Amino acid sequence: MPRLWFDKGTLLLKGEVGTPYGKWDPRNGCYRLKASHYKDALEYFKESKIRYEDDVPNLPPLEQVKSNVELRSYQNKALDNWQRAGNRGVLVLPTAAGKTFIALKAIDLLRTQTLIVVPTLDLIDQWRKRVRECLGVEAGVVGGGENIIRMVTVSTYDSAYSQAAQLGNRFMFLVFDEVHHLASPGYMQIGEMYIAPYRMGLTATYERSDQRHALLPLIVGDPVYSIDIEELAGKHLSLYTYEKVSVELTPKEQETYDAQMSVFKNYLNQRRIVLKSPADFQRFIMTTGRDPHAREALLARNRALRIAVNSEAKLNELAQRLEMYKDEKILIFTLYNDLVYTISRRFLIPAVTYQTPREERREILANFGNGKYKAIVTSQVLDEGMDVPDASVGLILGGTGSTREYVQRLGRLLRKKEGKTAKIVEIISKETVEVGISRRRRLKTGEAS
Amino acid sequence: MLPSNLLVVWKRKGEILPRYAKLSNDNLEVAGGLIEAYKEHIGEKKKALKTVVTDLENKGYEYRFVRALALLLDRKGTFACNSKINPIDLRRKIFQATEKFGLPTTPEKRQRIIEAVASEMALTSENFEEYLYADLDDELILEKFAPPSPYELLEQYNLSLSQTLLFDSTELSFTASGNWQSLFYFVKKLGLIYEVFRDNGLWVKIDGPASLFKLTKRYGISIAKLLPIIVANPEWTVNAKILWKYTNEICNFKIESQKHGTLFKKPKLPPATYDSAAEESFALQFQAVKSGWTLKREPEPVPAGTQVIIPDFSLERAGVKIYLEIVGFWTEEYLLRKAEKLKQVEAKMLLLVDEALACEKLAALEKRPQLNFIYYHDKIPLASILRYLEAAFEGVKAREIKFLENLPVKFTEPVISYDEFAARIGISTEAAKAVLTVNPPPGYVAMPNILVSKEKLIQINNQIEECLKQSGKLPLTQAIRLIEAEGVSDASCALTQLGYKITWHGINSEQAEVSKPSTMGE
Repeated sequence: MPRLWFDKGTLLLKGEVGTPYGKWDPRNGCYRLKASHYKDALEYFKESKIRYEDDVPNLPPLEQVKSNVELRSYQNKALDNWQRAGNRGVLVLPTAAGKTFIALKAIDLLRTQTLIVVPTLDLIDQWRKRVRECLGVEAGVVGGGENIIRMVTVSTYDSAYSQAAQLGNRFMFLVFDEVHHLASPGYMQIGEMYIAPYRMGLTATYERSDQRHALLPLIVGDPVYSIDIEELAGKHLSLYTYEKVSVELTPKEQETYDAQMSVFKNYLNQRRIVLKSPADFQRFIMTTGRDPHAREALLARNRALRIAVNSEAKLNELAQRLEMYKDEKILIFTLYNDLVYTISRRFLIPAVTYQTPREERREILANFGNGKYKAIVTSQVLDEGMDVPDASVGLILGGTGSTREYVQRLGRLLRKKEGKTAKIVEIISKETVEVGISRRRRLKTGEAS
Repeated sequence: MLPSNLLVVWKRKGEILPRYAKLSNDNLEVAGGLIEAYKEHIGEKKKALKTVVTDLENKGYEYRFVRALALLLDRKGTFACNSKINPIDLRRKIFQATEKFGLPTTPEKRQRIIEAVASEMALTSENFEEYLYADLDDELILEKFAPPSPYELLEQYNLSLSQTLLFDSTELSFTASGNWQSLFYFVKKLGLIYEVFRDNGLWVKIDGPASLFKLTKRYGISIAKLLPIIVANPEWTVNAKILWKYTNEICNFKIESQKHGTLFKKPKLPPATYDSAAEESFALQFQAVKSGWTLKREPEPVPAGTQVIIPDFSLERAGVKIYLEIVGFWTEEYLLRKAEKLKQVEAKMLLLVDEALACEKLAALEKRPQLNFIYYHDKIPLASILRYLEAAFEGVKAREIKFLENLPVKFTEPVISYDEFAARIGISTEAAKAVLTVNPPPGYVAMPNILVSKEKLIQINNQIEECLKQSGKLPLTQAIRLIEAEGVSDASCALTQLGYKITWHGINSEQAEVSKPSTMGE
């Protein structure tokens, strides 16, 4: 009788028959299959009336899930579509539209071993809390030094990838939070190394600038539901206004900025290099590894950008805004870590960066949530789906031109609260490269200023 | 291992090689200078060390090289937070204070808040500012530093560069002069799959389960972890395929001990230990009996199809090699796998099997002529093993004698040893000796260790007679020197053969003399 078992992220089949999915592996004289073909292989055996021995799954015990999740109408629609697509597919919903609850409801309906894959350790905490509150069971955690597997387990993409050889046969349902991450070349293999036939992807930003999202249907299923921010704004999410403030560099800053920028531009002119797309820029970065002049040009550009980002004038503007919104909850973003700490020191505002110890970060976010802290300042770590309860003002200082970043940052502020209008204020330096970055960003999201 | 942005490579026509730091004076100077700088910066902030690195970069040294060296040195240091008070507590205090006072938007208001909190914690406001973010990476103090030598640093750098390149490898093949046990142990532990093949020696190809389906870098990190164990050998060659992401092409990465051996740090390996007490006591007892067989622990791997078995011991005697594997207490699954492998072994192997484990699968293997079984109970039976070895050796010898007797050999050398001859036609010395001493080839005389042509003996005889004619006497030592100079090692045997008599005066060979019995002279 053919026997099928799990071997380090793949399946091995020994016996007299092959399957349409296997490939002969001369290294150990068996058929080898991608783990993701598990269900296909079993169906093939059943249809062909082949008796087989299945030693693949090694599932943790089921627990008594007691769900109290009530879905809103659009959430129900999303879940319906997903079920009709064979319990596979991607749901595209703006941040704060309650993606988490849809996934929890799906777990409740399937009642099967589930792995929830998330990009950051913060999100692990957040999901663990939600699983406890909404399903009444403790979640297992893999990642960040923990390794406990339970019926519902939460893991980072990194751990789900690096431990696929041990985890691949332990779950029947995979939930990918911020599923656009899955399309990166490495993480794609998570899709192949797990046997789970049921899969759900969640994201606010399905499209990737590198177009790799086109690969997602292969491993999670097609996008089955999508709703955009306008359809929800006002009804389920709060409204917001957007304002852009340009400040001038101080004369001394301007002088240094111009000097550094001209080093960069002169180099480009001399070499007849035109930087139009991110790919052009990537190519230029590569030459800096070989050519010391290119490297000097790049360093000069970075120095100029740092001046624009860290401009004293911006900090003064920030001080005024802090005064102006002193009765509101303020979230300050910037791309540059140094600037986060400058702001934190100068205005005594709690900082959250990749360097912040996990415990302290938890405490700061909790205190921001319950209103003890009026403001926090952060670099990129909070970018994705992090729960920052009902901030009403977002101040952006600097940033890159990527679409995703903008949507996510906006989304974070959009927490529904009675009768509230959120504000987003972007403070940029006048006549510097940053203007370009900011314009590009808005054009891509189609947002009016 | 280094972050990939510090990797520096040469790439030409599909070949890729890290830009290794030669152990040249120039590089040693940079390494030495950096090590000194770290020593001098003990007690200072990490920020200050970064300035040293930036200075070196500005002097024109390759920035990735300098930064990588600094990173490796960071790992030799202990960094600690310089604050009497936990900065997290300090920050909590100050943030809570803003709850009361509001956010400070002017320097004056900020100063007021800080002074209030600082005095409450019995700190000066300067200390307060200093400690507030003392736990940030840049602010940490270098407390201890274990300086490597400049050589060690460069060797470590070269090894790390290679490992960093291997992160992007899709497969690796290697051959090595030893260390097999731990190599295969790690291959398994790291979740890799190996295949062996022969190409001028035994090669091992490494990749992972999913490599079957497509080219993947997934196993790159595990492959990189194997490298230190491979290069710890005196001799090795490594061939890897690198998926170079920038150009999306597959490049060959090849390094070998002859060319690159001196570039790398050789990690110290723990000495081979015995897997079990049974093995150890067997080895000791075996060595005590002086059987004529040489016992070797952890011999080279024995191919079994595309897999290998690393037997517990090899036994060697005069060109006859038998592997010995002790099958102690194991699970059934293990035994089945083992049996599966043993089916494909081509080398001669003796299996010592615990009676309790005797099973059908193993019994089926008994038909294979290469495999021999001795079942035991409790204790490894030394006597049975010796009997088996003796028989095996006799059997081999008998076959070889038959082979030699039917072999048309023509001898041309004036002198040839049995060892040399046996090695030349690939049989044991014992067999060669057994045939040639009983039945020496025409024109040759058989001596204990060599064959000598009769012509050669006549030449020697002439020389001795010449000596005797001149002085009437010839000391034995001089005669031996004379004979050995002719390439004949069995000198006293040659003398006897030629009919000379040795007269001993006491037991000292210095005083012995060689003479011709008078009957022969007449």
